[in-house]
Parts: sequence; structure tokens; C-alpha cells
Amino acid sequence: MNLFVADPHWGWWIVLYFFLGGIAAGAYFSATLIEWVGREADRELARVGYLIAFPLVLLCGVVLIVDLDRPERFWHMLVKSEVVHQAMREGWPWSARSWHLLGRAPLLKWWSPMSIGSWALWFFGLFSSLSFSASLWPSAWLARHFRASLPGRVIQFLGCAVGFFVAAYTGSLLTATNQPLWSDSTWIAPLFLTSAASTGIATILLLTRWRGAVSPEALNRLERADLWALGLELGVFAIFVASLGAVLVPVWSTWQGKLLLLGTPVLGLLLPLAFHLRLGASGRRNALGAAAFALVGGFVLRYAILATPPELLARGPAVFSGTGWAGQPSGGKSSVVAGFSPEDGRTPGGGPGADPGNRPADLQPRSKVFADE
Amino acid sequence: MAEPVGFFTDTTVCIGCKACQVACHQWNDLPAGHGPARQSLPVLSGNSYDNTGSFSDVNWRHVKFIEQFSPDPDRTQAAWLMMSDVCKHCANAPCLEVCPTGAILRTEFDTVYINEPACNGCRDCISACPFGVIYMSETRHVAQKCTFCYDRLRKGLVPACAQACPTQSIRFGPLDHLKHEAEARVRQLREEGVAMARLYGADDQVLGGLNAFYLLVDTPETYGLPASPKLPSRSVPRSSVWSIFSAFLTALAVLFAFRSRTGNRPAEEEP
Repeated sequence: MNLFVADPHWGWWIVLYFFLGGIAAGAYFSATLIEWVGREADRELARVGYLIAFPLVLLCGVVLIVDLDRPERFWHMLVKSEVVHQAMREGWPWSARSWHLLGRAPLLKWWSPMSIGSWALWFFGLFSSLSFSASLWPSAWLARHFRASLPGRVIQFLGCAVGFFVAAYTGSLLTATNQPLWSDSTWIAPLFLTSAASTGIATILLLTRWRGAVSPEALNRLERADLWALGLELGVFAIFVASLGAVLVPVWSTWQGKLLLLGTPVLGLLLPLAFHLRLGASGRRNALGAAAFALVGGFVLRYAILATPPELLARGPAVFSGTGWAGQPSGGKSSVVAGFSPEDGRTPGGGPGADPGNRPADLQPRSKVFADE
Repeated sequence: MAEPVGFFTDTTVCIGCKACQVACHQWNDLPAGHGPARQSLPVLSGNSYDNTGSFSDVNWRHVKFIEQFSPDPDRTQAAWLMMSDVCKHCANAPCLEVCPTGAILRTEFDTVYINEPACNGCRDCISACPFGVIYMSETRHVAQKCTFCYDRLRKGLVPACAQACPTQSIRFGPLDHLKHEAEARVRQLREEGVAMARLYGADDQVLGGLNAFYLLVDTPETYGLPASPKLPSRSVPRSSVWSIFSAFLTALAVLFAFRSRTGNRPAEEEP
């Protein structure tokens, strides 16, 4: 755990994005899977999944842009801003050189979860918009071709894969930092993925119940999928907690950490599981209770994971300092940490280099004195 | 390509005068005030002789006062360590690694520089930096940190902080030259009996080497430096493998719940 870092202030907007993005991704990949193996009666479930995924992804995009300190520069995530500006100066769209420049404008750093995630979110929006319109207008040209044709199948498969990626990468995004808790476990991404499945299925369950147009058999199957997804999430949560190791104690010492370690499993996992397992006794209302608590638990999980490191950082690195004073040096030896960095191709093994080429040809250093040269 | 340059900060001769901070503020046009508008007067920390506290969007240099007292109730003995902290300009820079816009780049002097017109304020670099160097500017709305006086380097000038340092605690020069100087200084201190004298970041053990490296006389943690800072990407491969594994299991769960046969057998129906 590194307590010498600064807080990035990823607050409510990011909690909201992680929660809604998880639901969208979970609902979408569940819908594609249901459509592949399910029967005609299950199709309505998939339709509901498609109908919620796209509006939520749109909302996620807005939320992410609002969270930026420079919202108007959101497109810098996808293309090299300096190259685009250069192309504009070269007279786009009237010059061949400007088009040539734009050809190398796309920006992707595959080792940076935020960079690759931006692309994944964009593609997820594209795929989910196709599924959305096909579900909204089932008799239109797009819908008929979407379901029957090979390209339609390929798009669905890709959409499913990107959906899984969107569900998981937000966890990797947190792990690929030096913040306490986030960078101490490699199991946040799998945890977010399984939580996306349970919250996505829970949302489909709630909406189909509300619309009331689905056969009881289909709902039974969806509830069974929900039960298994919750069971899987419980297993991954246990591994996540175990993976924290020595970090567990400081995390538990914060109320956000207690919320994470206690609130999430009770609200989001144990209560829904209890509702499910009592399903036979008291009917369908229990499935709704399970779904509602799964959603609450999914939100609490995202909130607690995002809120714990700032709380730890606010306490300062007092844990480390004061171990000795100059008269009695504390001793100790710094250890070596190996890692890979594709940055600048400096890794012994080589690599593509982290420099994405987004530097202006005439880079002007920030300067108060040597202006405009 | 110019020669790689660096800072060698010898903490044993730092007197905590903060001339480096003032020079940095003045050269880089950084306000001294506090609050969003940067207009109210600086506040006193109240718990230390250091009133800067930490790095910030306008404090690219920060002279740390490590005020240590003996454990007896009257705190009869005191020892101060001082260290002028700055962006380390790591060889394998975590901020540069994660930056999704390519706004953070490496200059011809081997330093790490934030190209402000490209930054969109996502704050990924802040969470990635293991030293807590980067902060968002509330007025410019982009990430801010030490530029290594890139503008001065271009003109062949010494960075403002090193120029101002009255005790040569901050030494500027070609990286190779600085490292020889630093090793000689450690040898000298050890001969004089300072057994804990050590370099931090001079070799490639810390993030492939730090262009701004330090001579310390206690553990790195005592100076608020992580003993073993890590690259953000270190966990991505393992995290990805476990995610793919979980995705596979999740897909299986949904597929098995909906496989066509299941619903046909009344025995497996829910009662």
C-alpha cells in the first residue's frame, strides 16, 4: 500500500459511471447469450436487455465527459489532438496532406486501461445502438437483417465480447494506479465483471416484471441465471477479500472499508441469495427483492471501492513516518520492483513504445518569459 | 537529441530555506495565494515549520521538513531532515504510461513534460504517480507538475530551482556526471561515519531510474518516499487473465440457465 500518492478525486460521477456502465454491459452480454441459446419465449428478456443497454451507455458517456476537467476535450481520448490541430492548419478537408495526417490521428495505448477503455466504450455504444434500434422496431429492415444474417451474428458476438470488456476494464483501470486498495488487488476487475452480470440481470428481471409480458418459464430461467451469477460473484468477492492480505487491516479501519467488506456482501450477495433460495416458499415477489438488493449492493460496491483510498490518504502517511528519528535510524533496505513499461520502448524486451506521437512538431514549452518564439 | 539531464538532490546540505520554491513560483508564474481564485493569503500549517504541506498545482517544488523528536515526554532532543522534493522525471514514468491523451510526453532532455493543450483533465496520471506529484489546476483545469524548466533547458539555462539553491543541495547537470558526483559524496559521508547515507533513484532499481534522484541518510519512507514504487501496468496482465476467466464462467452460468433442454424437463422446473 502506497500512502505517498495524491487523490485523483474520482467521485460521484465515476461511481455513477461504474454502476450504470456495469448494468449496461451486464444486461447486454446477458441478452446476447440469452438470444443465442434461449427459446422464443426468452426473446422478450433479451429485448429488454438491449433496450436498457444503449440509453445507459449514452448516459455513461455524458457522465464521463462531465467528470473531465476539460469536458470540451473529451475527444482527446480517441484521437491525437495535436495531429488533428495540425491537419486543420494544413487546410482540412481541402489538402491531401491533411487527410494523410488524419489517417494517423487515432490514439490507442493498449497498456493503458483508460485509453483502451475509451475505445471499448465507443464500440460498445455502436453495437448496443444497433441492437437497441433492432429491438425497438422489430419489423424494420435493420431488425430483420440483424437477426438472420451472418454480419448480424458477428456484430452480436463482438458486442457481447466488448460488453464483457466494458464490465471488467473499469476494475483494471483502478488496479493500474498506485492508490491504496485499488493497486493492491488484481481481483477488482473480475469482481466488477461478476457484479455487472448480477446487476444487469437484476435490471432485466425488474423491468420484465414491470412490463409483465414474459412467460413464467422464461422468468424462471432468468432467476436461475441470476442465482448463479450471484453465486459466482460471492466466490469472486471472497477471493478479492483474500487477495487484499495485509491491506485488509487499514482498509477495515475506515468506515468506507467496512461498507465494502461488510455492506457489499450482505446487501448485494447474501440478501439476494437468501431471497432466491426462499423463492419456492413465497413466490415471485422474492425474486424482485433479490433483484432490488443486487442493484443496491452493486452501487454500494462501486461507491465503497472508490471512496476508501481517499479516506486512507486523508490520514496521511503517518503509518510510515516516525519509525525513527535521526539519532536512531530506523534501518531497512529499499527493495527492487520489476515491472514492464512499454513507455518509450525502454523495456529490456522492447515494445511498441508509449509515445503515442501526440506531440506538435513545434512544441512550445510553457513559459512566462520566453513567450511566442 | 540533447543529453539526458537530471537533478541530484543532496539532502544533507539542504537548509530548508525554500529558495527553490520561490524561484520556481517566480519563473513559472505560479501564484502564492490559496483557494480556487488563488487570492487569499497563504495559511500557516500549525503543526510544522513547513507551511507548504505538500505538492500542489502551484507547488512544483516542496521542501519537506522531517521534524523528528526523541520519544521522551519532554522531547528533549530534536533532529531535522530536509529534502527539496520535486517530480522525479522517472525513466519508466507511471504518469506517462497511463495518460490516455498523450499529453504527457518525454522531451529531448529525457524529462517528463505535460503538454497542456492536449490534457483533458481525466486525472489518471494523479492516481498513477507513486510520489503524489501531480495535481489539477483549479484555474487552468489541466494536470500540473514540474516542467524541469523545459523552456530554460531549451535556452541552455539551468532550471530555476537549481540556480537559486544557495547550498548546492540541488545540483543540475548531465545525468552521468551527476551520478559520479553522487557516488563520490556517498563514499565521503560513509567515511565520515554516516552509515545510512544512500542514493535513492540513482540506479535503475526505482522505476528504471529517476532523473531527479536523492541522497538520503535514512529510509526512503522517513522522507515520504515509497521504498518500492511500482508501475501501474504491473497488474494489468494478471487482472486481465482473471477477468477473462470470470467472463467465461459468467457466460457459462447464463448459457446453462437458458440452454433449451432445461425448460423441457418438468423435474427441473421450479415448484
